[in-house]
Amino acid sequence: MGKDYLGEFEELVLTMVGVLQEDAYGAAITDEIEQRLKRDVNLSAVHVTLYRLEDKGLIKSKVGGATKERGGRRKRIYTITSAGFAMLRNMKEVRMDLWKLIPQLKISGS
Amino acid sequence: MNEDNKPLNPPSWVMRFLQTICPNYLIEEIEGDLIQKFNRDIKIFGGRKAKRRLVWNAIRFFRPGIVFRNTGSINLNALHMLSNYFTVAYRVMLRSKAFSLLNISGLSLGITGAMLLFIWIDHEMSYDQFHVAKERIYKAWNNQTENGHIRTWDLTPRVLAPTLMQEIPGLESAISYGAYQASYLFTVGETKILKSSGVFTDPEFLTMFSFPLIKGDPAKALDNPNEIVLTESFARELFKGKEPLGEVVTIEESGNRFEFIVNGILKDLPPNTDFHFDYLISWQFLESVGQKDTYWGNNSVSTFVKVLPGQDISQLNQKVRDIAKNHAEEGSKVEIFLYPLTRMHLYGGFENGIPSGGRIEIIRMLGILGFCLIAIACINFINLSTARAQRRFKEVGIRKVNGAYRVSLIIQFLCESVLIAFCAAVVSLGIVFLVLPSFNQLVQQQLTLHVQDISFWIKGVAFILLIGIIAGSYPAFVLSSFHPVRILKGVPGRSGNRNVFRQLLVVFQFGFAVTLIVSVIVISKQIGFVQDRDAGYAKDNLIYHQMTGEIAKNFQAYKNELLSSGIATSVTKTSSPITDRWSNTDGMNWKGKDPQENPLIERFYVDDNISTTVGLTILEGRDMNLEKYPSDSTAVLLNETAVKLMGFENPVGEIIEDNDIEWHVIGVVRDFILTSPLNKIPPMTVQGAKKDMFDVIHIRLNDNNTLQSNMKGMSTLFSKFNSAYPFTYHFVDQVYERKFSNLRTTLKITGLFGGMTIVIACLGLLGLSTFMIESRVKEIGIRKILGGSITSIIKLLCMDSLKPILLAIGLFSPMAWFSMNWWLQSFDYRISLGLSVFIIAAVAMIVIALITILAQTFTAARANPVNNLRSE
Repeated sequence: MGKDYLGEFEELVLTMVGVLQEDAYGAAITDEIEQRLKRDVNLSAVHVTLYRLEDKGLIKSKVGGATKERGGRRKRIYTITSAGFAMLRNMKEVRMDLWKLIPQLKISGS
Repeated sequence: MNEDNKPLNPPSWVMRFLQTICPNYLIEEIEGDLIQKFNRDIKIFGGRKAKRRLVWNAIRFFRPGIVFRNTGSINLNALHMLSNYFTVAYRVMLRSKAFSLLNISGLSLGITGAMLLFIWIDHEMSYDQFHVAKERIYKAWNNQTENGHIRTWDLTPRVLAPTLMQEIPGLESAISYGAYQASYLFTVGETKILKSSGVFTDPEFLTMFSFPLIKGDPAKALDNPNEIVLTESFARELFKGKEPLGEVVTIEESGNRFEFIVNGILKDLPPNTDFHFDYLISWQFLESVGQKDTYWGNNSVSTFVKVLPGQDISQLNQKVRDIAKNHAEEGSKVEIFLYPLTRMHLYGGFENGIPSGGRIEIIRMLGILGFCLIAIACINFINLSTARAQRRFKEVGIRKVNGAYRVSLIIQFLCESVLIAFCAAVVSLGIVFLVLPSFNQLVQQQLTLHVQDISFWIKGVAFILLIGIIAGSYPAFVLSSFHPVRILKGVPGRSGNRNVFRQLLVVFQFGFAVTLIVSVIVISKQIGFVQDRDAGYAKDNLIYHQMTGEIAKNFQAYKNELLSSGIATSVTKTSSPITDRWSNTDGMNWKGKDPQENPLIERFYVDDNISTTVGLTILEGRDMNLEKYPSDSTAVLLNETAVKLMGFENPVGEIIEDNDIEWHVIGVVRDFILTSPLNKIPPMTVQGAKKDMFDVIHIRLNDNNTLQSNMKGMSTLFSKFNSAYPFTYHFVDQVYERKFSNLRTTLKITGLFGGMTIVIACLGLLGLSTFMIESRVKEIGIRKILGGSITSIIKLLCMDSLKPILLAIGLFSPMAWFSMNWWLQSFDYRISLGLSVFIIAAVAMIVIALITILAQTFTAARANPVNNLRSE
């Protein structure tokens, strides 16, 4: 395991980077998670997770454009690397394999 | 909604906060994200709430995942600057050696004093805190209401512990601890040792407390009545290096011999415990020889309980409260309560049933003393540094011009003070290491430096850093505040305020010094006063020893030979040494006594001839004389106070009832000091008595022989009549002198720290006056040219230095008066605090200060004005 392991929140952020494509930066990811999952996330938590994912080589970043809304500060746009993508896919497959092992809804009679 | 027109800006301090905690390469996007969120929040929640959310979000960036990303270049840079600061500090120190020496010696004296005090405090705080189950151990205390006043004490009946164990649920164990101090003779082979430092206790003692056994099983060591546990050093003393475990020790007490098996060896007790014993014997032994003590009126042992985990002590106390009332026959008024072991040493004082401090008060005083010493040393540093500020104007100016921030200048000056504090600390650590043994002797403690303890070093370094920062922060603030342009133009602004601040600090320093001088004078006067107090008997050439072994049986022969050989002139058996109280009672009765009042009366039992042996003065009637009047075994002498209390016009012939015996008064003795020379003399009866009351023999030695020949003769006689026991004796004058040891210790401590304070304060004064003279060199020159005489210049300079000292004397004398008056209130027999004490203290202070500054002032005043003015 070790490096291959991703926490639940890490996986969520990684997925969001994949989802948002060219628009994946801290604040946008936070908003997206809040809107889609109706879950309260803290900006600093997302940032820390992004940096950790970058350290692990699952995403990479480049400096993007600035807007007036951001007080003239530039964004850092994150994109998922192929390692990150493989990781996501791998995780999904493992989950699916496990999911299949759960006895599906049966009417327990007698 | 105006917010759209006028864009709200996020507060700048938030951005600054972010910039300090976030790594540089990330700051832009983090700020951007926060601002974006802030702007959106404004639309949703409005300005105020958005701002709150922004602040909260920003603060949450202070987390390890962000902060620890700060690595690399920034830290390294700061490190370089820091090392540069230390280099500069080192050079500054070297450049002005005298100044650095003054600073370091002042600080190190202060730190040494404080360190000694803090080690002492630490030691006191650690008393009995090493027991593993200390939180669950309690000592039983008594409250008894007498005339509406609650008296509290901690000795209980022996039966309390077993009764508690039987009747109170929730206790793990309960033990009695009886330190009776009776002398027993220990024999192993040829070795004979007399010890009175043994304790009777229950077997659970060893499992309740954490006094580890080197050999033996703590759970079983005292299971049988004839088993004994010895401390390591006592075992070594007895067995001389042989294996003691399982061996037999013979113990002898007034002719009875018992054999004990050594069943455990205790590691020697640590110095920080209130338990003192050399051996432990089980209560079962006393009970096996028919001394079972079930009397609820005999408060003679301590009772400790260990409660089960999770017990509520206040509930337990409610159950315990009436236990003595329920058992004691005659409607006892005693209420029992449990008091934590951890508070036993420092909080053992009770005022009307309520805990009211205790030893902690002394500890607080020591703490205050320590902090004041440190404060005085820091003040020295502050004063010397700010006074010398002018010398460093140029340096500050140049640094500022070259772009130094004020913060970096402050850090630089702080580095200097920290460096000096560290030098001082190293010096004082060395001093403490050297003087600790003598300090221990002085204060009668066993203090150690815990150098092997890592926490000692951590605390030490933190402490020194703190001192460096406290001492350095004001100078750093002042020095870094100078305006570069004005400095470099050569018009440094000397503000008067700063001078006033400096003077105030000096006032504080010398005020404290004056207070301590006053204390030293008052304490030594009080000691002298009390020492000169007439004891009421003749202390010289009087000795006493215990009635051990065969002496009781052979007393008459022993006494006869002592007298006939000319060694002694008079011999008397007594219940106790003349220097100690032994027994008192509130149960005496006499004719005309007010039945409502039961005053406490001291009792002292003698056989006969007490006035000739001890040297008491008989004012009326006669002394006891059993040969002439055999009925004197029920005779009683009263002291003057007792006569006054009982209200007898003609005391001789009156009858006093005590212990169901009618005692006839045969005489009155002049008041003499039995217990403390500091207190009033209590009413006292000197009673005749039966044989078994006598424990001590007082012997008046013959003045005509030398002491040596007397003692030699006595020792031969003693061993003739009592061969089994070693001859141990006491000189009454030496024992009497010990009554002052507490006062003496107080005097020594005050004297020592008072001396240190004065030295530190004078070091500061020396530095300040040097500086003042230096800065007024030209003024002195001009004054001389214009005809000022040397004396007038000396007067001028001295007055300047003395002004704050005079102010200190004026301000702090009342404080010293109050505190010393308060101290004196605790003695009945005390000096009255006159003005003379303060005059002496003031004169002493002024003289010391003058001596400190006179030499420099004189040199400055005598200097040739040409030399001073030529360089202009």
